[in-house]
Amino acid sequence: MITFILKRLGSGLVVLFAVSILVFSLLYVSSGSIARNILGDQATPEQLAVKEAELGLDQSIIARYISWLTHALSGDLGTSWFTSEPVANALATRIPVTMTMVFTAMLLISVIATLIGVAAAVKRGWVDRIVQIGAIIGDSVPGFVIGIILVTILAIQMGMFPATSTISPGVGADAWVLSLTLPVIALLINGVTGGAQQIRSAVIKQLERDYVRTLRSRGIGEREVLFKHVLRSAAPAGLTVLSLQLIGMLGGVVIIEQIFALPGMGPLAVAATGQSDQPVVMGVVMYTVVVVIVVNLIVDLLNGWLNPKVRVS
Amino acid sequence: MKLGPKAAAAAITVSAALALTACGGGATGGAGTAAAKTTSLTLGAVQEIRSWDPAQAHVGHFLQPYQAAYDSLILREPDGKLSPMLATEWKYNDTNTKLTVDLRTDVTFSDGAKFDAEAAKANLDHFKTANGPQMAQLTAVSDVKVVDADTIELNLKSPDPSLEFYLSQAAGLMGSPKALGTEGIKTEPVGSGPYVMDKAATVKDSQSVFTARKDYWNKDLQKFEKVTFKTLIDLTARTNALVSGQVDATLLDPKTGKQADGAKMKLVSTEVDWQGLLLMDRDGTKNPALGNVKVRQAINYAFDRKTIVDQVLMGQGAPTSQPFGKASGAWTENLENYYSYDPAKAKALLKEAGYETGVVLDVPAVPGFETQLAVVKQQLSDIGITLNVGAAITNTYTTDISAQKFTAIFFSLFQGEPWVATNQIVSTKALYNPFKNTTPELQAKIDAVEHGGKDAGTLAQEVNKYVVEQAWFAPLYRVNQMYYHNSKITVEPQVQQAVPSIYNYSPAK
Repeated sequence: MITFILKRLGSGLVVLFAVSILVFSLLYVSSGSIARNILGDQATPEQLAVKEAELGLDQSIIARYISWLTHALSGDLGTSWFTSEPVANALATRIPVTMTMVFTAMLLISVIATLIGVAAAVKRGWVDRIVQIGAIIGDSVPGFVIGIILVTILAIQMGMFPATSTISPGVGADAWVLSLTLPVIALLINGVTGGAQQIRSAVIKQLERDYVRTLRSRGIGEREVLFKHVLRSAAPAGLTVLSLQLIGMLGGVVIIEQIFALPGMGPLAVAATGQSDQPVVMGVVMYTVVVVIVVNLIVDLLNGWLNPKVRVS
Repeated sequence: MKLGPKAAAAAITVSAALALTACGGGATGGAGTAAAKTTSLTLGAVQEIRSWDPAQAHVGHFLQPYQAAYDSLILREPDGKLSPMLATEWKYNDTNTKLTVDLRTDVTFSDGAKFDAEAAKANLDHFKTANGPQMAQLTAVSDVKVVDADTIELNLKSPDPSLEFYLSQAAGLMGSPKALGTEGIKTEPVGSGPYVMDKAATVKDSQSVFTARKDYWNKDLQKFEKVTFKTLIDLTARTNALVSGQVDATLLDPKTGKQADGAKMKLVSTEVDWQGLLLMDRDGTKNPALGNVKVRQAINYAFDRKTIVDQVLMGQGAPTSQPFGKASGAWTENLENYYSYDPAKAKALLKEAGYETGVVLDVPAVPGFETQLAVVKQQLSDIGITLNVGAAITNTYTTDISAQKFTAIFFSLFQGEPWVATNQIVSTKALYNPFKNTTPELQAKIDAVEHGGKDAGTLAQEVNKYVVEQAWFAPLYRVNQMYYHNSKITVEPQVQQAVPSIYNYSPAK
């Protein structure tokens, strides 16, 4: 098991390294105008040259990358070119907002999608049809549209929630909950409908297997068959879907955060990418890659734990 | 089969939790009823401040938050008139190459440092060397001299008719000399302004909170106990925050404005930018057709500006043929409709110029201007001009412009003071004159503005007239900036600014 984890972490590091080179090169291509973008329309060539030297833009790409890498390895992700904010600070204040939202959404998706999926698989009939229709609707309506509808009805017309974030230092847990409720709902609808659909299929597949008939013929209770055996066998499919959803959610959350003005990773990523703010973009990308690697690792471990067959393979 | 009790319980818990959180929100909702006079002001800011170092201050939307923390040497009134602030008086010498400025002596910064001539010099020197986004504002200043404790002299390399205006903008913001150049001032402003930052309540990318500074020297400018700038980059978020009462005022657009109208918000509108074509290759270096004044005039006659304003801007703008703004002094009534909609005349001009078989115009695609570009393309095709809309602009846009990559562009440009606008779009130093077009006749008119002192605005009318007659541009309209606020506050619009100065807000009576 430890070898497995170490192997996965090793390959994760290789991916991280490769992505850092790729993104750095892409940013290098578009960095020609950084000094001009910072100093504005009327900057003279001399002023531009001073700024470029200050940011190290006058050095070769290799020198710049090595400098970034050595600093990053020592834990220094640099300072934003545009806002003078240390990248580590920027990430530290924004990650909790985004992660609170993403993990709450994932938790709710896991529970709700499993319940709905199992209900549809077991009940079939009209319950199943509603789930199927829900999946189609959920898949076709983007999260931000749901977000806008929720804000209009629940925040603006009914005044039950704040229309945009009220998260700030010192506010109580209630402000967090209120601020995050609508974005989380907007974020989880697609996940619930999509996840329920996948879990439904996986459960149906298992219910048709011979071992289920054997278990039933032995007189084992239906509940035990379902929750102890069937769900366990259906779990890998469900977990894979959930992990893909979590990774996909890292993209969706960007738009949701913009609409709800939440001080998470979204606005930071959008602003930094738009300006080619290299230190910040690199920080955001590295963080995202780390999340993806960790999520995949956790899913593999959970799969192994739930289903011994996976461990053997 | 029925759902097991555990599963059912889980489902009930989840829905109950959701319902509970929903109920809890009741207390915070709605715009509320304003009974007492408000003491706090919350503004929906379009952008986040990059750095609180005053030397990194910007103009337009960016200036307002700095005004909370920093006083400027000169105060710009809502109508554009310049009034004393930290400077009590200022005067040019006869050749407009030396500006002598008298200063207040009763002002301190929030860290206890005293404002005096040395502090003013330290700020101006810092601004010149800190390489901020507006450092060009002090390009004309060669050095700053302390005459005595309350007087400084700004010596100029050449006259700059915009200098007094600049001293009411980024270049005039005065920070504590003790804090200038430190790391701390980047995240926490240290000025002598009406408000001080509440660092604990401030969150980057979310909100900057300020509280009224005790014993501020000018209580007339300090109308609230608390001022919050809530960062709302997304237009939908700004609209939602305004109509739900989370912010008192913010900048919207014609479409979202309708929602605000529906919620009984009040509109303050000002004309700030003009939009249209910049026909930049006036010597025909890369596109010979553009070198012919008749072709450029034909392009100007091709547009039905009134209809474009009505349909594209939902009427929120004014058709115009001139690139200089109404408040600039360079604006003249008779240039407003200089190029009326006349496709027949446009075709005749093209024929005279020898281009009746067609002209091809390449412009880059500007994100957010898709509708405008489509209309321009269609109207130009009516007179036989093909508009090719190329690849979308990237963040190398300005560098590409200065590298003469584009012969024409469609853009939105700020209409500022006459000398500012001249140096932005007309003079050979201007970024938006990348082919450095000029003629002795035009240069003489520009020189007259530069040395014109107080008459600069009137003299710039000649520059305006020249570029309109020579069709350097094809302006379509000036855009109404739609600034909305609720009934708790009153807001006075600020000339040439989409977002008013911080002094223009007061609690509703």
